[in-house]
Amino acid sequence: MLATLLQLLARRLVASIPILLLVCALLFSILRVLPVDPAAMSMPPTATIAEIDAKRRDMGLDQPLPQQFLIWLRDAVHGQFGRSIQLRRDAGALVADTLPATVELAVMAMVIATVLGLGGGLLLFHLRGSKLEIVADIASTVLLSIPEFLWALFLLFLFGVVLHLLPFAGRLPPDFVRPNVTGFLLLDTLLVGRPDMFWAAVKHMILPAFALGLAFSPAIMRVLRSSLLDVYQEDFIAQLRLRGLSEGRILIGHALKNAILPTLTLMGVQFGFLFSGTLLVEVIYSYPGMGNPMVDAVRNADLPIIQAVGLTYCIVVLLITIAVDCLYLVLNPKLRRH
Amino acid sequence: MDMLKRCLRSGRVMVGLGIVLVILFCALFAPYLAPADPNDQDLLHILLPPAWMADGDSAFPLGTDSLGRDELSRLIYGARTAMTVAIVASFGAMAIGSILAHVAGYFGGAIDWIIGRVVDVWMSFPPVIFSLILMVGLGTGLDKVILAIVLVDWTRFCRVLRSEVLVVKQRDYVAAARLIGFSHWRTVTREVLPATLPLLITLVSLEMGIAVVVEAILSFVGLGVGADLPAWGQMIADARQHIYDSASGLFFPILAIFLTVTGFNLLGDGLRRALDVRLISAREQ
Repeated sequence: MLATLLQLLARRLVASIPILLLVCALLFSILRVLPVDPAAMSMPPTATIAEIDAKRRDMGLDQPLPQQFLIWLRDAVHGQFGRSIQLRRDAGALVADTLPATVELAVMAMVIATVLGLGGGLLLFHLRGSKLEIVADIASTVLLSIPEFLWALFLLFLFGVVLHLLPFAGRLPPDFVRPNVTGFLLLDTLLVGRPDMFWAAVKHMILPAFALGLAFSPAIMRVLRSSLLDVYQEDFIAQLRLRGLSEGRILIGHALKNAILPTLTLMGVQFGFLFSGTLLVEVIYSYPGMGNPMVDAVRNADLPIIQAVGLTYCIVVLLITIAVDCLYLVLNPKLRRH
Repeated sequence: MDMLKRCLRSGRVMVGLGIVLVILFCALFAPYLAPADPNDQDLLHILLPPAWMADGDSAFPLGTDSLGRDELSRLIYGARTAMTVAIVASFGAMAIGSILAHVAGYFGGAIDWIIGRVVDVWMSFPPVIFSLILMVGLGTGLDKVILAIVLVDWTRFCRVLRSEVLVVKQRDYVAAARLIGFSHWRTVTREVLPATLPLLITLVSLEMGIAVVVEAILSFVGLGVGADLPAWGQMIADARQHIYDSASGLFFPILAIFLTVTGFNLLGDGLRRALDVRLISAREQ
């Protein structure tokens, strides 16, 4: 079992290397055909043309493009993306500082999306054939069309501005001093023994995490419902009924186990999108993850940050799909035997 | 004809189409509907709430933004921007995606493999990140937003349609067309395309909703259509910055985007149900 899992993991990781290389090449070429000159941008406005030329040689920009790509790739593998032109700090260090906050938000949102998605799917399935079915059906179509961007703004408007129930900017109230042990704020507040700060941090995350969770759960609901409908067509359900099992036990103990697999496949794709969706939600809630520096970098054409953060988003999305594939293997008895 | 009748009977299609037509009407007749010029600044009347609230001014039915521009007029002109992007970008993405899908699915082999790998790499870029990065290179502007959406979203069409083409290609009438000497071009356009068209129409409708959201997102972060064109995303960005002074400015553009996207999605979902041959035959059995 473990051996199969490790084998799959290794195979998937190896298979993602060429994709990652091509993603790097695409990222690099989009940004290298830009009409911006990184050398000129990193110099003070008083620099002479000769100084800029020297800088350009220094940065390797006079080399042919494939050569430049290889140099960039070599540095990228070592986590060296160069210094941000705007922020005057190392782009790799910026990713290391901001990634934990984004991961915390994404994980919380994934938990919410899973709970809402599975719960909603069971509810939709439960309503099959009832008068409420059409209502639930249309509601799920409408919910499906609300992206995280709109949820984020709407929740901010309703719970932050109109009802004043929850905070909607940053991660902590200004009077708290942020502890820094692991970089993960929720973990750190517990490690330094400050449950009040932990609670404050959780309250700041509720709206952004729900915005993401609400946007990505309707698809999970619909797939779970339709795979449950498929499972209930099978003979073994009728057999279980004949054996006298209660409907509840059939659903939870047997049908759900089979219906969860297609749902899981979809969740892999959804969680990849969810992770990249944190970008906008972070911008809307001024949440200090990778989103805000990325958008600032895009506005200012700050290439090292765009490349470092952009690549990080791609890598995490790839890792999420691989992780879900492994989970699929663990849960799927058919694949387990081989 | 039969399909048309089925579409007209579908509640989803009619509601979706109704919403889309209302917004399209606003977009087409914006100069006649809007009470004011959307870019007219009135710095004596900034951040006003809607007219029916205390401190409201009847000259500005939905209030004003931080530069004293009329929210209602900007909302109506914003429909123009949103609809232009929705229509042009989704047809652009459809053109590229469906041509490649038909080529890949119909010919198979090496061409199929190459197109498939390009789609894989393209799709491993999260769409939001990809379009932001493209906007760095393209710069702001209506045409740039459209181009970015086309360049990111053609893969949605390509992947789904390719598998449909693979199914259609197996049918007997396609083989028959080849046997009686139809050229590849004629086989694809006369025999394969009519069978994939329902799916194509559905995808275009859904893509229009996506394009509206992407345009709003890009305008929200300030990399959209540019400051001179009113856009819903810009209105939201403006209201987000002055959220403590005027919350209503946030509400109406959110509602506009929500309605537009819901309209396109209901239309797309309804069309899928009304046009999907397999779904229909399953229901009739």
